[in-house]
Amino acid sequence: MDSSMSPSSSSGSSSRPCPEAMMERLKSQLEVAYAEEFLQNVEKKCYLKCITKPGTSMSGSDSSCISRCVDRYIEATGIVSRALFRNPH
Amino acid sequence: MDSSPELQRFLQEEKQKAMIAEMVGKLTSECWDKCITSTPGSKFSSSESTCLANCAQRYLDMTMLIQKKFQSMQQ
Repeated sequence: MDSSMSPSSSSGSSSRPCPEAMMERLKSQLEVAYAEEFLQNVEKKCYLKCITKPGTSMSGSDSSCISRCVDRYIEATGIVSRALFRNPH
Repeated sequence: MDSSPELQRFLQEEKQKAMIAEMVGKLTSECWDKCITSTPGSKFSSSESTCLANCAQRYLDMTMLIQKKFQSMQQ
């Protein structure tokens, strides 16, 4: 009977997130997580390959090595994915 | 409403995708170490790209083998 206890009708639908919105949010969170993990791999591998004698600054050959390395690592990911999913096993 | 079948199916799918993404990530990392031994160039040599593809496929063969062996050990 206390009218202050009844929820206002305009905000009644915001108490539970609808499944579609939840799925979308989860999807974009997953994308971010995949990208972060990929980046960490690339950083590790390309640091190993390209920064062999750390100097006081990044040399031009270091930075072009890194650029090529990133391209190659992305290419390697594609080669591995295709090999895994082309396989008729 | 909390565990709608759509949500369940969605979660299953995303779980599958996550497992696949993890496998591709790990395999690329391992195969890169095995196959790319020199400074990265502006493209892969054919031996490098062949090595990467072989590496992934042999990994699959290996998991099949291990599965079979495990199954026979449990009999």
